[in-house]
Amino acid sequence: MAEVTAGTERALRGGSDAARPARRRNYSVRRLPGFGVIAIFTFVMLYLPIVILVAYSFNEGVSQARWEGFSLQWYEAAFNNRQVRDVSVRSLWLAVTASGIATLLATLAALGTTRTSRFPGQTMIYALINQPLMVPEVVTGIALLIFVAAIKVQTGYTGMGYLVAAHTAFCIPFAYLPIRARLETMDITLEKAAADLYASPFQAFRYITLPLLVPGIVAGFMLGFVISLDTVVITEFVKSAGQDTLPTYMLGQLRRTVTPEMNAIATLFLALSLMIVTAFFLITRKRGV
Amino acid sequence: MAAQGAGQRGARDPVQTEIDIRKVSKVFGQGTAAFHALTDIDLQIRSGEFFTLLGPSGCGKTTLLRVIAGFEQPTGGSLQIDGKEVAGLGPNQRPVNTVFQNYALFPHMTVAQNIGFGLKMQGRPRAEVAATTDEMLNLVKMEEMAERKPSEISGGQQQRVALARALAPRPRVLLLDEPLSALDLKLRKEMQGELKRLQSETGITFVFVTHDQEEALTMSDRIAVMNKGRILQLGSPHEIYHSPTERFVADFIGDTNFLELPVSAVEGAEATVTLPGGNGTAARLPDGMTPRPGEKVITVIRPEQAHLVEDGPADLQAEVETAVFFGTDTHVHLRLPDGQGFILRRQNVDHMAEPAPGTRVGLRLSPGALRVLRG
Ligand SMILES: Nc1ncnc2c1ncn2[C@@H]1O[C@H](COP(=O)(O)OP(=O)(O)OP(=O)(O)O)[C@@H](O)[C@H]1O
Ligand SMILES: [Mg+2]
Repeated sequence: MAEVTAGTERALRGGSDAARPARRRNYSVRRLPGFGVIAIFTFVMLYLPIVILVAYSFNEGVSQARWEGFSLQWYEAAFNNRQVRDVSVRSLWLAVTASGIATLLATLAALGTTRTSRFPGQTMIYALINQPLMVPEVVTGIALLIFVAAIKVQTGYTGMGYLVAAHTAFCIPFAYLPIRARLETMDITLEKAAADLYASPFQAFRYITLPLLVPGIVAGFMLGFVISLDTVVITEFVKSAGQDTLPTYMLGQLRRTVTPEMNAIATLFLALSLMIVTAFFLITRKRGV
Repeated sequence: MAAQGAGQRGARDPVQTEIDIRKVSKVFGQGTAAFHALTDIDLQIRSGEFFTLLGPSGCGKTTLLRVIAGFEQPTGGSLQIDGKEVAGLGPNQRPVNTVFQNYALFPHMTVAQNIGFGLKMQGRPRAEVAATTDEMLNLVKMEEMAERKPSEISGGQQQRVALARALAPRPRVLLLDEPLSALDLKLRKEMQGELKRLQSETGITFVFVTHDQEEALTMSDRIAVMNKGRILQLGSPHEIYHSPTERFVADFIGDTNFLELPVSAVEGAEATVTLPGGNGTAARLPDGMTPRPGEKVITVIRPEQAHLVEDGPADLQAEVETAVFFGTDTHVHLRLPDGQGFILRRQNVDHMAEPAPGTRVGLRLSPGALRVLRG
């Protein structure tokens, strides 16, 4: 018994028997049984549906299951579809506006929670800001539906303001997190050095904090943009008639017939997202100071 | 140009007080968690001097610098810079610049933009900013690097840029928080000389923080030795080294022999103490200390202030334990008759033989070298 314990202890501490280090060196997660199968399965599940989707956007025929030759006709159809153009423009406009406002507010929130002395309830503030990450989207959606309906009745206003407000609130945590992370890793002595060199608090912010924060702000904006572009549930509950965004429009179309036109739109959507993510990496890497 | 002007300022009135610190204290936290980082600091730093704060880690050196710079407000006492009370003024309103321990260069600006930053913030005209930046680049020999970013220059070069940036607005006082600690030994020696040169060329008052006693001794006009938030002793490197008044100071700076000896008589600031073996010798007393005859006191003497005597009268006898050859000098470890250990440093002129272990030798102490310590 005692011997077993001692042996286990030795093993836990790394062991002194000569065989052990050698075995450890050869140990690799890749050699675990099933590693390859699971990895392949995961990648297949992740990418194969998308590959098929993209492939059939170029299908000559109307089928999603039978390849009938290459054609760009569905792209042409999508481009000529007025409705698709309208909802795309609306989606982009909404994403830029909501993410823009959210980024501004998130920047202020991040400054307020990192560049002030700790105040009571600070942790609470983090939680409150991050509400959209914790409350199920559908709950927020229904709550907004009821809330917005009440305001509509009172004011008669049915414009895009509701969607902008809802998307902005939803985007704030996604913009807040990278900005705050950037502020927290930024060397605070830089701002002290600026103050020491006669910069007023505003000048220190303008010439030191802000330029160094730009990668965080860009990251926050792009994340917010992608989130707004993508969100279905909230839009679905809040939108008035004729305020479809690209995702809600596509959802609506799918209830009818699924032609490869949808594939074409989805592929374009995918390309846009990839472009933004790539731009994001390039920007943050180049500005990475 | 202006650097000369600053030099004249220093030369015109060399004993003018630049920073006047009275009874300054700093307490972090409250109640039972209160921590006294600075206690009753009284300090007058003179215009144009190279002043050093020396002390072990955590003794409050950085805190004192931060209080002077305006990053921390003292919890008590008053602080004047250039005759003006600065309580409540932010760092951007004080004629004081800091060289930070980690340099804190602005990573998104070029070397030249870093150096010109202070002047730009002061609202100086463009042409003046450019001219002074060039002058500073020249002063720290960084002209070739003007357009590089801080990440594209070496540590020693960053150090120079940090210095130039802090000097460019011509502050009355430059605060340096262990500016050389990140550099390797060779570069460190080089920058020590460089700092001295910059200080004498600009005439700006330097307040330099270090925990390296050798650096403090070689560079400073005056040194304040700190421990646990208090200033223990203030004086020239000579005074600090040769006339320590506290055991901590003597121990912190250089190699030291402490001897516990009985007092036989006291006359003014001098006591007569009895050496092991029975000979009496004079020992200086610190201010305000008058031990009674018969009382035992701690005395201090540097290893190089005792000498081996071949022939002639000796102050005391000792037995050689070991002798360690260091090239220019030899450290002889001795045992005194009453059992206390003693280290003697002998300069090696010509080819002197090392004293063999076990030999009995006579020791002579430099007159006036023995000092009594407080406490
Ligand atoms: N903001 C603070 N809150 C609480 N305690 C602090 C604070 N800043 C410093 N201290 C404490 O005050 C003491 C002095 O710190 P300080 O930084 O001045 O030391 P130092 O002499 O510069 O040491 P080092 O040589 O290591 O830099 C330390 O014990 C430190 O823990
Ligand atoms: Mg320090």
